[in-house]
Amino acid sequence: MTAEYLCSADQIQIKMAQGAKPGEGGQLPGHKVSEYIAHLRSSVPGVGLISPPPHHDIYSIEDLAQLIHDLKNSNPSASISVKLVSEVGVGTVAAGVTKAKADHITIAGHDGGTGASPVSSIKHAGTPWELGLAETQQTLVLNRLRGRIAVQVDGQMKTGRDVIIGALLGADEFGFATAPLVVEGCIMMRKCHLNTCPVGVATQDPVLRRKFTGQPEHVVNFFFFVAEEVRELMASIGIRKFDDLIGRADLLETRKGINHWKAKGLDFSRIFHLPDMPKEVARRHGETQDHGLAAALDNMLIDRAKAALDKREKVVIEASIRNLNRTVGAMLSGEIARRFGNEGLPHDTIIVKLAGTAGQSFGAFLARGITLELTGQANDYVGKGQSGGRIIVRPHAEFRGDPMENIIVGNTVMYGATAGESYFRGVAGERFCVRNSGASAVVEGCGDHGCEYMTGGTVVVLGATGRNFAAGMSGGVAFVIDEDGTFRHRCNLAMVELEPIGEALSPASHLGLSDTVLLKSLIESHARHTGSKRALDILGNWPKWSRAFVKVMPTEYRRALKQLAEKSAAALKQRAA
Amino acid sequence: MGKPTGFLEYQRLSEASIPPAERLKNYQEFILHLDDDDAKTQGARCMDCGIPFCQNGCPVNNIIPDFNDLVYRQNWREALDTLHSTNNFPEFTGRVCPAPCEAACTLNINSDAVGIKSIEHAIIDKGWEMGWVTPLPPKDKSGKRVAVVGSGPAGLAAAQQLGRTGHDVIVFEKADRIGGLLRYGIPDFKMEKAHIDRRIRQMEAEGVQFRVNQNIGVDTPAEVLMQDFDAIVLSGGAEWPRDLPVPGRELDGIHFAMDFLPQQNKVVAGDKVAAQLLATGRHVVVIGGGDTGSDCVGTSNRHGAASITQFELLPQPPEQENKPMVWPYWPIKLRTSSSHEEGCERDWSVATRKFVGKSGKVEKLVAVRVEWKDGKMQEVPGSEFEMKADLVLLAMGFLGPVQTGLLDQFAALGVEKDARNNVKATTEGAGAYQTANAKVFAAGDMRRGQSLVVWAIREGRQCARSVDEYLMGSSELPR
Repeated sequence: MTAEYLCSADQIQIKMAQGAKPGEGGQLPGHKVSEYIAHLRSSVPGVGLISPPPHHDIYSIEDLAQLIHDLKNSNPSASISVKLVSEVGVGTVAAGVTKAKADHITIAGHDGGTGASPVSSIKHAGTPWELGLAETQQTLVLNRLRGRIAVQVDGQMKTGRDVIIGALLGADEFGFATAPLVVEGCIMMRKCHLNTCPVGVATQDPVLRRKFTGQPEHVVNFFFFVAEEVRELMASIGIRKFDDLIGRADLLETRKGINHWKAKGLDFSRIFHLPDMPKEVARRHGETQDHGLAAALDNMLIDRAKAALDKREKVVIEASIRNLNRTVGAMLSGEIARRFGNEGLPHDTIIVKLAGTAGQSFGAFLARGITLELTGQANDYVGKGQSGGRIIVRPHAEFRGDPMENIIVGNTVMYGATAGESYFRGVAGERFCVRNSGASAVVEGCGDHGCEYMTGGTVVVLGATGRNFAAGMSGGVAFVIDEDGTFRHRCNLAMVELEPIGEALSPASHLGLSDTVLLKSLIESHARHTGSKRALDILGNWPKWSRAFVKVMPTEYRRALKQLAEKSAAALKQRAA
Repeated sequence: MGKPTGFLEYQRLSEASIPPAERLKNYQEFILHLDDDDAKTQGARCMDCGIPFCQNGCPVNNIIPDFNDLVYRQNWREALDTLHSTNNFPEFTGRVCPAPCEAACTLNINSDAVGIKSIEHAIIDKGWEMGWVTPLPPKDKSGKRVAVVGSGPAGLAAAQQLGRTGHDVIVFEKADRIGGLLRYGIPDFKMEKAHIDRRIRQMEAEGVQFRVNQNIGVDTPAEVLMQDFDAIVLSGGAEWPRDLPVPGRELDGIHFAMDFLPQQNKVVAGDKVAAQLLATGRHVVVIGGGDTGSDCVGTSNRHGAASITQFELLPQPPEQENKPMVWPYWPIKLRTSSSHEEGCERDWSVATRKFVGKSGKVEKLVAVRVEWKDGKMQEVPGSEFEMKADLVLLAMGFLGPVQTGLLDQFAALGVEKDARNNVKATTEGAGAYQTANAKVFAAGDMRRGQSLVVWAIREGRQCARSVDEYLMGSSELPR
């Protein structure tokens, strides 16, 4: 996820769960990661991609609120949506999501599901959308929250009748997927996972993709008919405007269904219950959420960086920062990405010198060209989704403790970073660089689960790590100082191997640099940017310290690098011949 | 199933055939079934669709993806069992079925369909060759007696199913040999009759009895059957041919296809046919562009006709159907049968006005071109033409079952007919295939009108279940 990617969206959806694969995550095995896929996912061809079930930055509703805030900062014009699966209790979650300032919520029914979902999930996860939607509508109305959020429902929506029932149970919007896919030519082969879709819908194979015959007009036509059926049904129940339908469960004709012998013994009254609330309480979406963007520090940064944004001139901004200032740099990055794309600006075009304690998500989605220099400390999620910018955090000059013992940035730092570099003179919390796919970082120690699920980039740890380092790490490289030889016990060796750093440069080297050159240059930068005594000590006695470093190398990544090197060598040879 | 990428790697392979010049010398089959390797790769082309349209396209709902996979894995024995689980007579359908399954094949949308029929053909031929097709006599007898009237594919399928479930089945056939149209309609070069004989031996070993030369309603009154049997299945086919009542129809040399084709089958079977109707040296005009017409063309060619022309009333269909419009259904498109390949002129949008002859014998016909507008036929003014013809074969379809004899007598027993003069019975729910007389059931062309062998097998099988339910209160037979 990059700043540019976020900026291109009209709506950004956080999938907390969906009907087909709630909480199971997914894995793309290495043999399916072609050059094209690797490019799209900013990873290395041939290296498996693990999409772990949790969002590593969401462990509570407050975390979700923070992510919503981050995304909104990055692209203020996009609506932020949260997808939930229909299940018992979804109403409570929906109320929390509304309070967390989402603009939009999707209730996904259990019927949905792609051909690639595990059968167990297709069969057993979630409940019908009708149940989750009814509960959501009632809970939101009872808590006077309904007006603040748009409610979408999806899960095998196919007809105008589905739309009408959805509206009557409380939905503003409707998600269609399977039906338009079929309109475009899908014949439900259930081969989406095999890359052999014979009608070219769910495949990357260029031969098969040529067989795709769908046209946008087909989809337009389909929805025209859906809308026509909706109109007819509305006319039949005497409703003039679609808005007047929303939440009118009392208009549903239920007798025929309830009297059916299969429904014997079931009580449906709660599904059709209308909350007894005063008339002025909203039953449908009509208000906008207050995201508090006006108070963002970035408004000032954007203002003062005008010369850089308009004329690419160098700008230096100095300011103080408090932990109230969340997601600093994201809105500014959004402005850069909108203008200059992922390329951003040349390094150090906008230097922001800050002093104090930064709030959460400091430098989130930070674009290239921005350098955030923080003297003080930062909270969780520093550099979340970092997209090319540079982040420097060093302790205050008057700090008297040992930086090697001082937690200077919080948990889940550089989560999902794609590019850029960070230097932290101090220790990071848990899950340092989780899912990093391309950024480099230097830190003087980290908590548990460092480099978890990392797929690319370079991490240097100049001190002790917590346990379970490199769990699920399939790409990139980490260099860790192992002074007492115990790192092996704190590292999860399921997918990685430990080795000494090498001097030699081979075509299969990470980033095309020898270990020594890469490591030394990162430590030098660290020393330059943070004034780290630790870094200076190491550089001062390099022959001794270089032997203390351990290189954490994912086995799959090594294989992929080797393959790529062989491939390019073969290509060279062929060209020469 | 088999190989996920099989359809990308292998091309559809049609069954090999003996070239026309060779095969015209005799009345033997000329389609050669696939060898093991070819069957394997053809099976590999099956994609194991999430929704196997072929299985619904097939009237007997053959479990096609499964046997394709089994053939790919060279597990022929299980493939045969899978095939037999839905189809009593794959050796008939593997030869003469037009394969609606292949029209419904998902690969047929944008490529060539899996060669399902050729795989079926290979499976059943191997089954017989290996001796895997053996009688399956019932473990217990029910003591109930069932009469099956008519021994075409519907009657045979019903009889086999009923026999295997333990009833005493007697099949009555008005002709001198068992098989109905399989025996005397389809020429030997399309399907050799030994296949029927082999099945009859199997069915006899399973306990089914056959009575030939028994025309119920003529030789034996229907009443007798009603007294002697617990249930009766009417499967007498639809043998009432559509006539062409134009001036000169009474001339000699104008015959129904079904007066012409059976004689040749008898000759091939070794019978002596007095004054056999031969096309040898004659200018043959076949009126009617369907399968029966095709068979007349093939037989005339083998007789050594001087010329053969086939007329069709409807316009020439397109060579390629509009697939997005018709898939997965049976498309109307130009079909060139093996008999056409052997040589014949075809002409479309032609209506015959009259036959002209000398001293009672037809010499030529006068025809006119027609146009179809809004579903209505109009003659094109001034388009009359003449055509030399000294043998005219009428193959214009069948109107329904023969109404006299059998049906007269059963009508007197309460059996009703539908608006198309077929025996009236439903195919779904309680009392499926049961006529207005609870003891009498109907299946195949006699109930549905002229149709395919495979539909007849379906009806026979389903009817057998209905009969079994009627006799026993419940049934284990498949639906």
